[in-house]
Amino acid sequence: MFKTACQEQLLPGDSLQQKWEFAREAGYDAIELRGKGDFHFRDRLPELRRAQADGVVMPTVCVDMLHFFGAFDPDLRRDAVAQMKSQLSIIAELGGLGAQTPASYGMFSRRLPPFEPPRSEEEDREVLLKGLTELGEHARAEGVTLFLEPLNRYEDHMVNRLEQAAELIRTVGLDSVRIGIDSYHMNIEETDPAAAVLAVAPLIGHAQVSDSNRFQPGAGHLDWPAWLGALDAAGYDGYLAAECRLTGDPVDAVRSVPAFLHRAAG
Amino acid sequence: MTAVLEPALRSPGREEDQDAALRRAAARVLLSNWTGAATVPSRTLYPHQWSWDSAFIAIGLARLAPRRAQRELETLLGAQWRDGRVPHIVFNPSVPLDAYFPSPDFWRSSGAGAASGAPADIETSGIVQPPVHALAAWQVHLADPAESRRRGFLRRMYPRLAAWHRYLAASRDLGGGGLAAVVHPWEPGLDNSPVWDAALARVEPAPPESFRRADLDHSSAADRPTDLDYGRYVRLAADYRDHGYDDARTPHAFALEDPCFNALFIASEHALAEIAAAAGADPAPHRRKAAEATAALVERLWDPAAGIFLARDLTTGEAVGGHSVAGLVPLIVPGLPETVARSLVATAQGERFGLGRVHLVPSYDLTSPEYDGNRYWRGPSWFNTAWLVHRGLRQHGADPAADALREQALDDARRTGFAEYVEPHSGQGRGIRRFSWTAALALDLLHRTPQGEPAR
Repeated sequence: MFKTACQEQLLPGDSLQQKWEFAREAGYDAIELRGKGDFHFRDRLPELRRAQADGVVMPTVCVDMLHFFGAFDPDLRRDAVAQMKSQLSIIAELGGLGAQTPASYGMFSRRLPPFEPPRSEEEDREVLLKGLTELGEHARAEGVTLFLEPLNRYEDHMVNRLEQAAELIRTVGLDSVRIGIDSYHMNIEETDPAAAVLAVAPLIGHAQVSDSNRFQPGAGHLDWPAWLGALDAAGYDGYLAAECRLTGDPVDAVRSVPAFLHRAAG
Repeated sequence: MTAVLEPALRSPGREEDQDAALRRAAARVLLSNWTGAATVPSRTLYPHQWSWDSAFIAIGLARLAPRRAQRELETLLGAQWRDGRVPHIVFNPSVPLDAYFPSPDFWRSSGAGAASGAPADIETSGIVQPPVHALAAWQVHLADPAESRRRGFLRRMYPRLAAWHRYLAASRDLGGGGLAAVVHPWEPGLDNSPVWDAALARVEPAPPESFRRADLDHSSAADRPTDLDYGRYVRLAADYRDHGYDDARTPHAFALEDPCFNALFIASEHALAEIAAAAGADPAPHRRKAAEATAALVERLWDPAAGIFLARDLTTGEAVGGHSVAGLVPLIVPGLPETVARSLVATAQGERFGLGRVHLVPSYDLTSPEYDGNRYWRGPSWFNTAWLVHRGLRQHGADPAADALREQALDDARRTGFAEYVEPHSGQGRGIRRFSWTAALALDLLHRTPQGEPAR
């Protein structure tokens, strides 16, 4: 049986404790945190410690910034690596599993003008391998994992499919770097999402869920039983973390997710 | 001591773990053999879509991914001919012609079959396989009725399945007795069963240089049909093709009424009645047809002395003496007379099939000189026939035998890596591995109702 998590911003309530109360009632097993830049996540440590003392389960953090470790600009890249290291350390301090980041988001798309990025594929690869190695070594030292998330072609031009992430991770060669898959991006990029999951099975470290239209699972047309069946067959026993927009009444929408996922998983 | 030890050896936790591992392994086979719109029986030996394979695969796929199970059947029925026939192979146009023989350029369905309503844009074979499809469609619907209704699955499937059954009932009633005939040994599914030997021996083989087998590239020749028999298969198919796949016009050198084929027709006709009702059509004609065909099955093919159903050769008008698992499959027919059902269970448990003492259900009489435990359908035990016999045993209340067969099928599937078939005495896997219907039917047998009962 899968465990489910919900990103904190989707849950009603003014504090993590209130959000947790709602999440538990809805059937979630955990809250996925969001990590803003400028060391905001580190600065939340007292709040997070209190929540943890009150029983809130927070195994993962998903980066919530506008620049990433694959940025074109070296300064932004350096800052993104520093932020991610800090987020990995904080989630380790909370006894969590790891932090998720894409290579970039909203920086460039080969499908939109001007089509040709300012950096070559070889240079992209060099930057990604360097960043993943530095972050992976930090994660290993902290006893947690960095989850590399492939995004769809309109949001990132470097890592779109699971096999691309897998190739980078195998090259880096660190167990502390794994793929953080996302059902929505896979729906756009993978020929057969279920087969794609099986093909990289041992490298999957985390899973985020939203439907074909980015809304909560159940609101679109993804073949959830096939996708979840493949994750189960892959031996994945981590969290399914809802990272989505909401359609319909937002509270009802968030509440509907765990039951929907459990039913679809059979 | 044994009685004390047994519960410890079979602790529920361990069994659950084993079942979960088997379920995951079976899911990996089915997800890997999925090609986007349907499932290949095997990535190596069988690179296209097979008719009865797809039906069995859909039954298991429904336990994993109901929408894919629906797509599986929709894709197959999408290649249906206008005369209603569902071809035994639907060719994948992106696979090289020499990957499988007989290939599309042998069958030439879109040309030779045009008058019989073969699709113009999809290449298929011209013969058929047992009609498991309505039975499968109903099981697929029941696995997720909400998804089925949302997609209009039954409403779209019903006219096609009804046309398929009309084709069999009208064009294939070559004996005029209310049963469907098969006109090629590949049609009943048990391709090289000794039951066909005598009828096949009357067929002039096609010259060996006129065809090239592809099956031996991936399988041991000792496990597969002989070259001489292959030449006869080719001749029968070529004659049918050269008569435009027109059943009335073809001088069938091979025409038999097979008990398994007709039992599946009847079970599917019952399912078709349920589908008709759910799709807003009249179920009564299907119930009537099922009852008539059941009476015909018993009257024409039941041998009370031997306690088994026998194929009838329409050329000689005689019953064929050999005992094959096909003769036990009518156990799945709802409403079979109880005396017949009891006798069938006794035959299954007797020396000819050894149910409970050998692995699964041998495809042919263990005591016969023709029995060969390694050669395809001349003795090996297959998972689809075991699944059918299991269903029949449950239907007739033989639960202990059904439970044992279920356990054995799951164990053999696990042990052999989802082999195509097993040697009945040793249980060793034969043929190819990661075979789709073996994985699919294991998934179905693993499924339990919310009350914890095994699926029926």
